[in-house]
Amino acid sequence: MATLVFILVGLLLAAVQTTVFMPGPLWPVAPDLYYVLVAYVACQFSLCRGIIILLPVSCVMDVYSGTLVGLYPAICCCGWLLLKFMTIKMPVRKPLYQLPLVAVSYLLISWLSSLLLDILQPEAGILWSWPPMLFRAGLVCLFSYPLFRCFDFLDSRLRGKFSFAGPKGAGTGNQFRQDNKLQ
Amino acid sequence: MQRNNRNKKQKDGSEGFRPVLLGGAVLTLLLIFLVFIFGSQEFGPVYKLVLDATGPLQKGASQFAVPFRSMREKYLDLLTVREEKERLLQELQKCRTAAYANRGAVALNARLRKLLEFKESSGLPTVTARIVGKDPSPWFRSVIIDRGLSDGVDKGMPVVTGEGIVGQVYAASANYAKVLLTISPSSAIDVLLQDSRVRGILKGTGGSTYRLEYVLKTIEVAKGDHVVTAGYGGMFPPGLPVGIVSEVTRNRRGMFLEIEVVPAVDFSTLENLLVIEQKKKEFRPQSEAGYP
Repeated sequence: MATLVFILVGLLLAAVQTTVFMPGPLWPVAPDLYYVLVAYVACQFSLCRGIIILLPVSCVMDVYSGTLVGLYPAICCCGWLLLKFMTIKMPVRKPLYQLPLVAVSYLLISWLSSLLLDILQPEAGILWSWPPMLFRAGLVCLFSYPLFRCFDFLDSRLRGKFSFAGPKGAGTGNQFRQDNKLQ
Repeated sequence: MQRNNRNKKQKDGSEGFRPVLLGGAVLTLLLIFLVFIFGSQEFGPVYKLVLDATGPLQKGASQFAVPFRSMREKYLDLLTVREEKERLLQELQKCRTAAYANRGAVALNARLRKLLEFKESSGLPTVTARIVGKDPSPWFRSVIIDRGLSDGVDKGMPVVTGEGIVGQVYAASANYAKVLLTISPSSAIDVLLQDSRVRGILKGTGGSTYRLEYVLKTIEVAKGDHVVTAGYGGMFPPGLPVGIVSEVTRNRRGMFLEIEVVPAVDFSTLENLLVIEQKKKEFRPQSEAGYP
């Protein structure tokens, strides 16, 4: 049930990203909301559940955007794997500390994608430009915190437990992860 | 004693004269009244004189009363000013909403009118479509329209507005289609410089301008030249407006000019489109289409 709800949330995010946040075809500052879901799934969900959620969402993004079939599933898959690896290796597992990682992974995956496309599909004319991509990474980071909170709320409600606490920044006590298990 | 008697006699005389004086005065007034009632009713010279004499007095008094009257009116107005203000604010809000809606309607009307003019003047079979989604990626420029195979829209069909060309259908489902915009970096179309009839390849830059390529340095191209579709490949009908040359650069190296073209269509405000229905032709983006 929770998996299905998160798939629907992903589809909704894709639709919102391509309509509400895109007033015109040349609008430069649309936040990549689908990537926030990729990051959340990588940080919070298991391997199998993550794939089930991300596959339909990335396919829909592929339909909505671009002319190269398979680009978004590749970006989602790479981003998800990278973030999964980073969260496993990261000593602190708190959403506030994971947000910069989301932006960094987004930037890295985008850069690698453009590099590969430039080599493999030069006719696509994909050019890397730092200022807009840095701005977009900033937007992803900006939208990550409220969306992570929303996803947390949704996940907890679906599991039947939720306590809406304030921003979890520098809390008291030991902030380092006590175990190495995946959530 | 003698003085007292004299005073008494004088008193008696004046007391006898008083009734006569009173009677005379009453009779005079009565006479004046009768003259007024049964007279010629004309404003006599005496009255005129009195009016002239008392007029300034009245005038001064009335001017003196003006500030008091206005103060009273202001006070009375203040009593109702709050209700009036709220009512006017509500009215202003309604007017602003109506004006906003009207501006939108006027803009939509103008856009649709241009589409209709193009539809009528071109004589080509067209399908009107509305953009329902835009590509958020910085690398691609495409839009989703609300017409598909069931409406006669198919892959490869050109898409235009009243101002000029917009792109071509890249993929179509039963009810929706994906349009690759001409500003997309993967788009390339055959064009002509309208006056010199020189052919070139127009490529998208992903931004708000095109790049016109493969125009030889020996050819004179000026800022402001109009660029139209060539129609050689059969993809776009010939003569459709594409844009205007905004910058021409002659590099020392190379054979070709570097030409920047400003699109005829304002892509940032794109909403309604026309898909030109023409025979299905294999659509291949850029290099696959045989362009160098």
